[in-house]
Amino acid sequence: MKRRTFLRSALATTGVAALAGPLAACGSSGGSTASDGPVTLTIGNSQWLDALRGKNLWNAVVAYQTVNPKVTLAQEAIPSADFANKITTELGAGKGPDVILMQDGLFVTAAASDALVDLGELSGTPGLNVTNNAGMVGNTRYGVAWQRAGYALVYNKKLLERAGVGAPPTTVDALIAAARQVTASTGAIGFATRHLMSDFSGWYMDYQNWNYGYGGSFAANGKLTIASAPNVAALTAYKKVYDAKIIPIGDDMPTMRTRFKEGNVGFILDNSGGTLNMALGGSVASADVGAAPLPFPNPAAAQQILVGVNANSANQDAAKAFVKWLISSAGQAGLRAASGPDTLATDVPLTADFTAQSPWGTTFATVAPKEGSLLVPGFEVKTAAIMRPVMQAVEQVLLKNADPATALTSAQSLAEQVAR
Amino acid sequence: MSHALATGAASTRRRRIARFSAPYLFVAVPLVYMTVVVFYPAAREVWLSFTNTKLSRPNGGHFVGTDNYARIFGSDLLWTSLLTTVLYVLGVVAGCLVLGTLAALAVDRPFRGRALVRGVLAFGWAVPGVATALAWSWIFNSQTGVLNRITGALGLGTHDWLSNQELALPSVIAATVWQYTPFVMLVVLAALQSVPPEVREASHVDGADALSRFRAVTLPHILPAIRLVALLLVVWSMRLFEIIYLLTGGGPLNRTSTLVVSLELQAFENYDLGGAATYGVVGLVISLAVTVVYFVVERRSTHGV
Repeated sequence: MKRRTFLRSALATTGVAALAGPLAACGSSGGSTASDGPVTLTIGNSQWLDALRGKNLWNAVVAYQTVNPKVTLAQEAIPSADFANKITTELGAGKGPDVILMQDGLFVTAAASDALVDLGELSGTPGLNVTNNAGMVGNTRYGVAWQRAGYALVYNKKLLERAGVGAPPTTVDALIAAARQVTASTGAIGFATRHLMSDFSGWYMDYQNWNYGYGGSFAANGKLTIASAPNVAALTAYKKVYDAKIIPIGDDMPTMRTRFKEGNVGFILDNSGGTLNMALGGSVASADVGAAPLPFPNPAAAQQILVGVNANSANQDAAKAFVKWLISSAGQAGLRAASGPDTLATDVPLTADFTAQSPWGTTFATVAPKEGSLLVPGFEVKTAAIMRPVMQAVEQVLLKNADPATALTSAQSLAEQVAR
Repeated sequence: MSHALATGAASTRRRRIARFSAPYLFVAVPLVYMTVVVFYPAAREVWLSFTNTKLSRPNGGHFVGTDNYARIFGSDLLWTSLLTTVLYVLGVVAGCLVLGTLAALAVDRPFRGRALVRGVLAFGWAVPGVATALAWSWIFNSQTGVLNRITGALGLGTHDWLSNQELALPSVIAATVWQYTPFVMLVVLAALQSVPPEVREASHVDGADALSRFRAVTLPHILPAIRLVALLLVVWSMRLFEIIYLLTGGGPLNRTSTLVVSLELQAFENYDLGGAATYGVVGLVISLAVTVVYFVVERRSTHGV
């Protein structure tokens, strides 16, 4: 009898504990909602993990805690390769950080899914520049600019000097010649650029430079224009560079950036954020890094990161107040020092110290405002899905010597199915 | 007296109930666990495959019947993925079974340093998949990888192991075989311990050569273990994601895009959870079919014995 009583009690206790768990979780979800009490805001960003720059950016952001001591900021650091997947999953599950710093593709997807809060009250903030237009989806503002990183042809000045290369190339043919000269004279890799499907999301973004550079666009007036003549010209030029054997085939972008930092790459196609990382902490001094506009007839592309407030956040008011501070003159001044030459939400000029130390920054500051968005216009939310058949067409051309026009026509047909 | 009889009968009934219910109680815990982490997610996946659920709204999908199946089965990607999956599974299973069995036979007999050799051969099994992919990405690196140093030194030239459409799949298979061969070795090694030493001795005394001894004596004893490990390898390699995705991302030209890699693409690039679930269901059906075939073959071989 005693054993049976004990077993019954144990089962009952276990059952109650099992039920109490979820109930307790229900009761304790979300952060503090009291407007006057202490609040912890989590900020999701892949840049927190960037060597050197991540720490500087965080220090710039955490200065808010002295402005508003009731708020404690916490990082949610996610590697860039996993960022979109993780944040999308978290948002879909009704969770995620309070404030999210996300690239434009993810931003548009989140906004279209009603996962972001309306930030219309921030539109009147004085000094907001055109890069904040990317924070509008339809007529609603869901975000403001964090950084806009233009692309340029980055080069190692000392290697070019040793190879006897004069001014940076301004055409693709000149790039091929200069890269070959660098390799022949110094043994270094001539030109580094993404070229692998394993790096798909970075590759399609970098590839947009070629497209814009040749006057192309993947969509216009609500229709996909993947197989247009300028796009064919862009792919033909890219194929020419690939076949010139100046690219380190098989290297992913982190490896190519590391090789540049080690002084083993002459030219690299990269954005300002990547260049800042390469110029800090490697064996190539920042003063020995150069940047020139890409060797294309037209301006290229720019990546953009936007700041949004999670609609699932239990601290929306506090999050909005933080974002408001971020785009104020105080917030922008702090960010300027940590952001290198990236264009910010307001036109804060590059610091004299930075320009002296890193003269390459002025090139990025000049080109970024003119460069195009990485999203397919009119099909922003489906950009990644549309670019998959496009990049597969690029692969066909690179690896199987397919005709660019034929490959892009086939890609257009596949992309139209996805875009429906 | 009647009280004692009644108590005795009740006690007997209780013991009978306890004996009857004991096995079910023992399996109840793993069954609950399996229901929560396997059966429910699988059932939900099947349901998702009949909806138009998007990743950005995982609870917002609507029933669309067999639309996803019609779309997926009508696309080239599914058939390419299926073919790639079959080739990948065959390569991994064949490579692991052959190399694992040979390794087990090699370390079965005692020799000096056998424990160290066994440890070294088993090392790959202890390495996480992500670390395996990272290490092999450097081995295969076209510029500075050790494999190209070796092939170059042997006069076989250098190759783009992961970005060449003909070499990418064999390269990914090689990395997978490296990781899973130790498991086969350990299972076969355990099975080899079941071979009666007197039977081995007798065959040796009878003058049978090594190959004949292996065929007639060793193989029949280890065959059930080999069949079981082959089943496990088929199921595992169909589900393997990180090595393939980290090495090639499914490229070049979808040459390494297995079912599970295509599933990831549908879910996290196209944000199409319904479509991704369809790929998952196809994989699930194939895995179940392979398992059924295994049990049928096992039953026949048991009855045959």
